[in-house]
Formats: sequence, C-alpha cells, structure tokens
Amino acid sequence: MTQVLDPAPAASASPPPPPLVGGPKPPGLLADRVFRVLAVLAAVMVLVVLGLIIWVLLDNSLEWIRTEGLGSLFSLTWEPSNGKYGAGALMIMTLMVAGIALLISVPVSVGIALFVTEVAPRRLRLPIVFVIDLLAAIPSVVFGLWVLRQLAAPLADLYASVHDAVQGIPVLESIFGDPSASGLAIMTAGIVVGIMITPIVTAITREVFATCPASQKEATLAMGATRWEMIRGAIFPHSRSGLVAAVIIGFGRAVGETIAVALVIGSSQTLTENLFAPGDTLASIIANQFGEASGVQRSALIGFGLVLLAITIVLGAIARAVLRRSNRRLGVAA
Amino acid sequence: MTTTMVPPEATLRPRKGTGRRRFRSALATALIVLSFVLAFIPLLFVVIYVVQQGLKVFSWDFLTSDLPFSQRSVEGGIGPAVVGTILITVGATVLAVPLGVMGGIYLNEYGKTSKFAALVRFLSEILTGVPSIVMGLFIYTFWVLPRAADGFSAFAGSLALACLMLPVVIRTSEEMLKLVPHELREGSLALGSRKSRTIRTVVLPHAAPGIVSGALLAVARAAGETAPLLFVIGATQTANWSWLHGSNTALSVQIFGNANSPFISAQERAFGAAFTLILIVFIATTLARIVTVIYTRRTSGAGG
Amino acid sequence: MPEEAGPSMQRRHRVTRLVTAAAVTAGLVAALGIAPAGAQKTKALPATTINGSGATFPQGFYDECRASFKEVQPNLTVNYPNPGGGSGKGRQEFADQVTQWGASDAAYPSADLSKIKGGSFLYVPTVTAPITVSYNVSGVTKPLKFTAATLAKIFQGDITTWNDAAIAADNPGVKLPATKITIARRSDSSGTTQNFTGYLTKAAGSVWKLGTGSTVTWPEGSQGGNGNPGVSSIVKATDGAIGYVDYSDAKATGLKFGAVQNSAGTFVIPSTAAATAALEGVSLSADGLYDPLNSPNPRAYPITAPTWLLVYAKYADANTAKAVQAWAEYLVGPCQKSARNIDYAPLPKAWAKTTLSRLESGIS
Repeated sequence: MTQVLDPAPAASASPPPPPLVGGPKPPGLLADRVFRVLAVLAAVMVLVVLGLIIWVLLDNSLEWIRTEGLGSLFSLTWEPSNGKYGAGALMIMTLMVAGIALLISVPVSVGIALFVTEVAPRRLRLPIVFVIDLLAAIPSVVFGLWVLRQLAAPLADLYASVHDAVQGIPVLESIFGDPSASGLAIMTAGIVVGIMITPIVTAITREVFATCPASQKEATLAMGATRWEMIRGAIFPHSRSGLVAAVIIGFGRAVGETIAVALVIGSSQTLTENLFAPGDTLASIIANQFGEASGVQRSALIGFGLVLLAITIVLGAIARAVLRRSNRRLGVAA
Repeated sequence: MTTTMVPPEATLRPRKGTGRRRFRSALATALIVLSFVLAFIPLLFVVIYVVQQGLKVFSWDFLTSDLPFSQRSVEGGIGPAVVGTILITVGATVLAVPLGVMGGIYLNEYGKTSKFAALVRFLSEILTGVPSIVMGLFIYTFWVLPRAADGFSAFAGSLALACLMLPVVIRTSEEMLKLVPHELREGSLALGSRKSRTIRTVVLPHAAPGIVSGALLAVARAAGETAPLLFVIGATQTANWSWLHGSNTALSVQIFGNANSPFISAQERAFGAAFTLILIVFIATTLARIVTVIYTRRTSGAGG
Repeated sequence: MPEEAGPSMQRRHRVTRLVTAAAVTAGLVAALGIAPAGAQKTKALPATTINGSGATFPQGFYDECRASFKEVQPNLTVNYPNPGGGSGKGRQEFADQVTQWGASDAAYPSADLSKIKGGSFLYVPTVTAPITVSYNVSGVTKPLKFTAATLAKIFQGDITTWNDAAIAADNPGVKLPATKITIARRSDSSGTTQNFTGYLTKAAGSVWKLGTGSTVTWPEGSQGGNGNPGVSSIVKATDGAIGYVDYSDAKATGLKFGAVQNSAGTFVIPSTAAATAALEGVSLSADGLYDPLNSPNPRAYPITAPTWLLVYAKYADANTAKAVQAWAEYLVGPCQKSARNIDYAPLPKAWAKTTLSRLESGIS
C-alpha cells in the first residue's frame, strides 16, 4: 500500500508518518555484517597466501640474483655447466610459444562463443558446452603424450613442406626455417598450448557475449544490420573488457604450462627465430632440470618463476592500457 | 533479464543484406562454424586415442587393485591412484572454491576500487601465470619441510593445487559478477534487502553458471596436474584414505611415470589411468552443471 | 613307522622325526641362504613405513627388491615414487629428512653437506649397470666399435656422417653408409647424462669440449628425449641416430648397442658381467664412494654408472632405524641375486660383504 505524504497534516487521529531515516531497520543486520566480514577475511587470506608465494620465490632466487648480477640476469646464455644462468633466451621463447598459442586460441574461442550464442540452434548449446568441458578434462600430460606420439611425425612433414614453400622469401624463410627431424619444436609447443587454453578462454568469452543486452542487439538489427554487423556493432563493443580479461587469463595459463610443453618442445636453450626448431620455455626448463639441480642452478630455476610473474604483470598492464585507449576513442567511461 | 547461459532471444532477425555486406556476413558465419569444428577435431583424436589405449586394460579389477611394485609387472591396477586423485582434488576444491568465490565477491561488491582490493586483484592476476611446478615447490617449503617425515600427504597435494586454482577462481568470479546488471542489484536493494541478501539471492544466482564454469575449469585442470604433486605427496602402492597423513599417489603422476617407460605393460597402465581420469573429471563436471541448473532455476523463479 | 610300537616308543619316534626335519631344514636354509639378511634373521619387524626417493637409474632394481622384500618383512612398507624424481631431488629430500632414505647417482656437492639435517649418513653402494651407446644404422648388423675420441667427436657434432674416417678406422672391414648422424640425448637433466659426459671427459680428455654435468649444451640439431625411454624411442625411430641409454631400457626397447674401448685397450660389449668387472677394477673407499668410469680392469665396460643408497647413521625412531637397516641389508645381501634377471649388475662379492658389515654396525 503506498503512503501518500500529506503536506497538510489533518487534525485526525493518525500521527504523522515516521521519517524514512532512523526508523525500524530491515531484518538481518547481523547476518549482513557477518557476510561482509567473511568476504573481507577471504580477501585477506588470499592476500596472505599470494604474498607468501611471492616471498618464498624471492627468498629462493636471491642466490641466483647475487651470483649472476642484475645486469646479466637476462643474458641469452643458459649454460649451468659453465656457470652461465641467463634467462633471456628462455623468456623470448616463452613469449613465442604463448604468442602462437593465443593466435590459435583466441580466434577459435571467439568463434566458438559466437557459435554458441548467436549461430547455433538453442538445442545444440548444452551439447557444445559438454564438448568444451571434455576438452578441459583432458590432463595436460595426456595432451603432451598424444602430440608426442601421434602428431609430432606428421607435423615434421608439414613443417618440411612449409619450409620448402617459403624458400626465397626473406623474413618467412628464417621464421619457417629448417625443421626439427622429430617434429619437436616451438611451433608444436605453441599448438599444444593453444588447444589447452581454449576451454577457459571460450568459457569466459561465452559468458561475456551472452550478457550483451538484447536492447543493444535489437537496436542494430532494427537499423537493418546483417548478422556480422550486429556482432561487430553490439556484441564486440560490450565485450571488450571481458575479452581482455579472458586473454590475460589465457596468457597466464599459456606461459605457465609445464609438462605438455616439456614433452614436445625439444629442449634446446639456444635462442632461435626459427619456429620449426626445438626451443625451451621458462616453465618447461624448470620441470626438466629441477630434479637434478642444486645450488645456483636451483636458485635460478626458482627465479624463473619470478620472471614469469614479471612477464604476466607487463602483459596485463599493456592489455589494460590498450583497453583504456580504445575506450577513450569510443567515448566510453573506463 | 534472464540468466547468462541462454542469451535473450532477439525478436528481430538479422537481415541478409546485399552484395559485399551479405558476403562478409556469410563469411563470418562460415568462419564461426569452422572454429567450432577446429576445436572439435583435436578433441576427437585425443579422446579416441586415449579410449583405444585405455580400454585395453580398463576393468573393475584395474580400478581397484593395488599398484604393482615394478613398472615391468603385468599385474596390478591403479586403485590407490584413484583414491589419491579424488582425495587431493576434492580437497583442493573445498579449499580454493569457497575462498575464491568469496574473494571475487569482495572484489566486486565490497572492495571495488579501494587500494586493498586493487592489491588483491593485482596479485591474483599475476599469479595466474605461475607454473604449476613452482606452487609445488612453495608447498614443499612451507608445509612438507617443517613436518619432515610426516610431510608427504594428500592434504599437501590439495594445498598445492588450491594455490594454483585460487587466482583463476577469483578472477573469473569477479568477471562474472561484473556482468550482472546493476539494475538487478538496485531493484533488490530498493525492495529493502540488505546487501548480503541481495548478493545471495539475486547477484549470485545470476552469475552462478559463469562462476561455476570458471570453477569447474580450475578443478579440471587441477585434477590433471602432475608437476606440483611430485614434490608433496610422496608415493604409495596401496590405497591411502587418509587425507592428512601418509604419502599418497595420483592418477596424473601415474600417467607421467608409466607413459615414459619402455615396458608395454606400464604404457598400457598409463593410458588406463588417463582414461579413468578423463572419465572422473567429465562425470564430476556434468554433475556440477546439472546441480547449477537446478540451483539457478530454484532461486530465480521461473525461467532458466 | 611300526604301528605296533607302544606310546613312549611312538613319542620318541615323533621327536626323532621332528629333530631330523629341523636339522635338514636348517641345513637347507644355511645352504641356500634364503633367510633374510641381518642380525634378525626371521624376526618380523613391527609395522613401519619408510619413504625413499631419487635416482631413476637404479629404480628398476629397487622396485624389484621392494616387491620381494615385502614377502620377507610383510609389516614393512618401503615406498619409492614412480618416477624416482632425480638424484638431486633425492639428495634434497633426504637432507631435509622428508624421506628416510635416498637414492643418488652422485655424491653431495661439498657446498650442500652442511644442509643435511639428520647428521652423519652413509653412502651404500647397491647395484650398477652399463650405459650403452645405442644406434640405428640400416645395413650394419654386427656391433660397431667405438673409441672414446670418436664418441666425443660424434656427440659434439664434429663427425656428421656414419662413413666418416674416424668411425671406419675403429671398424676395419665394416661397410658404413653415408647416412647423416642424428644425436639423441636427454631433454631432462639426469645422472645418466652426468656419468656419460663424465666418462667422455675422463677418457677423451681435451678432445671432448662440452664438459660434464646433468645437462650440457648439445650441438644444434640434436634431438632431446624425455627420460631413457624418450632417447630410446628417438634412436629406434630415426635411421642414423645414436644415443646414450641405460642398459635395461636399451634391452627392453630392443636397441643395438656398440662395443666401447676401455682404458686397457679392449673393445667391450655392455653386459652385467662387464659392469661388475668395472667395479672390481677400482677401489671402494671407506665411506662407500667409488668411481667406475673408464675402469682399468681389462674386462671392464668403461661406461659403467655408479649409484648409492643414502641412509642416516642415527634415526630418532627405533622402528625406522631397524626398518632402514633391514631394507639396506636386504638390497646388498639377498636381493643381489635378482639383479641380473632384470639387467642390472650385482656388486663384487667382496664389496657386498664389506658394505654389509658397515651397515650392521652403522645404523641405530
């Protein structure tokens, strides 16, 4: 029942209505306070755990930092038997693998998300979700083994054909250079990781696309847009920040992937621009060499964990700067 | 406004357009369908490969027998590894998901732009990139080492996997909560609900499918992780049902150890274990999605 | 037995039978040595679990012995992870007292000795085995011969084809094809790499330029495999490949391996007998360490890898001490005879005896 405020209080029996502030409070104050405290506690615990991890990493990498010296921490030579512990070559090759993985995974994930939300008949949506779930259920070691045993040899042939095809073209010739005989290469690792990060990037992207308001979509359609124009005009602008988050999470997973990469990348720590040659990444070299390492080498391998943190920070900052730029251009509040 | 998984049906249909516009739209549609097929292909091959190899040894006996002592042995099964994987993964989920979702709630509903929230957000984001092996090392240093002989345990494994899962669960929960329209929150608050009630009855159900998706993916990844467990759970031949005490083993570790063996019996065991792991994770994921659909339907009234 | 005999006569016969049976059994037991080793010959120890970890090289032998040890001491559980984790990890976990015993293919670097929390410990030699030089060259049926210098040049990339003059000089009369040599090596760090490169440093001197270590910088174009089986599969699949593989893995994969020239000048094919001979040619120091690489014994296979069990001299828990002692004594005692069946080489008998007495007095 609505209360109509009577500016001229009648001289009747009913007293003036109580003011809206300071009146009886809605029930559940204690529960609300408890919930809020729980949420804050959760955030504090998270902070403590994450902070501890970083502290332990720092503590254990000190030996490496002191021995190698800040200047040559990122040198291109990793030769523990000669006392050289540079992270540079591995960093660059890690970025190469992650780059290939994102190049493969992001378009495919966006495509799948669009397929689920816009193109596919409604009945197909749940089965498709199950298919993506199944992909996520496959352990990374199994993926690595499958690629090693079944895919590596055909990939070696593919690399040989591509290499022959680009003979004579200046830049492409060195990127698609002399292929590794067994198919174990940077490109192979990129492919494996790309497949493996697809489920999480798809899941986030799908959710982001699905929450695009119908009003925005209908606005474009009302102006006679085709399906693609509707996607470009309504869905993409709405989804930019969510997409960036998806890409960052995917990148994080890509650089952190350990065992699958270790199995298929060929383990060569010499920096090369040839994607068809064997290489190594920060995560996979930790997995391969930690079991036998001691002293400075062990400290260096832990330090690689720190380097990966730094890489993720830098990429996150870049991605958010790009987002702010495009927001400004579109006149959208950040 | 309806829940996330099924987008509101646009009552207008896209026009086909003419000429170049039509071509571009058709091309886009074709590429979209192609990308789905592309994702499907490796999945198909891997699953077929694992099923083919795994079914050679898969049986009830295989699932319940103890692990053989030696790789060259033709007897034995992976019973202890199944027990270990379940203990470790369920434990990790219990540790990481409630904490992560509450953390996400804090970040999006309470903390928002405060410095503290910014710090938590920053740390969560950068820790999504830490290799799993480093988390194993962290738990070895912090938990296993002080306990010396009593250090190895399934609980230590759960801790390591929970550290891996936490940043991802927090980040995805926050993103999903961000997608809930403000009008929903304001409507609930205007009706006199407290903030916590609004979160519990309006925001969470709306974001639930997305949050559950993110959590399930984190759990699936954790179940398949090998490297961190190698540092913290030790080894055992017989099933160890104790979460807190005694070394344990896991399916992922057994896959890794046996696949790299020259003996055929060991390789077959590896694929049997792989098949079992995929089966367990897939069943768990499906169950969780069914539960989510029921929960969402019940709390948001009519409509899924 | 006469059934008409009286009760006391029957009792005496029964006693006689029992005594005879006991004597015969004791005689058999003594003769066949099937009693478990150690002072407590058949006394069952109370339920204890002892965890170990470390080298993958001796893993096959330790796994086999853990299985048979369970029948000797049913209450004891000896755990070893699959895969072992690596010598470095084994040493680390033993030093941290997270495990009760360890397995390592190399001694502690001196810088790490101060970090060992449990006090004084013992290096216990247990078993050994050859590291083969396995290859896949079509058309070559008889085992090839390799000198240390040739091996060094092949593995550092100086020799690139099979019909190179150096290989031909080692193998007079053998027709070698012009196939390109593909080097198969480890992608993960390993004690096997350390021992193989250690041998090349010792035997080939200045010819070998890549140094020694659990990882070295292999020449470009070399193929990395994960674990011994990884290297074996590369060798098996690639025509012209050559790699270093543990004896048991090479045999299990069915690879062909060559004869290597030892320091006495003889070309020796890898075998368990030749590995034991390598140990016999060097001395076992009082603390248990030894170096069999490039052994001077003329029957020795020069690339024989050492490995040790790590045990503490003192354990806080008496049951753990007894369990570790029983396990170590079992490995060096009764289980030695299982080694050959699974392609490992037992210790020389004198070494086993010395080590056994060290263990009997050494652990408390």
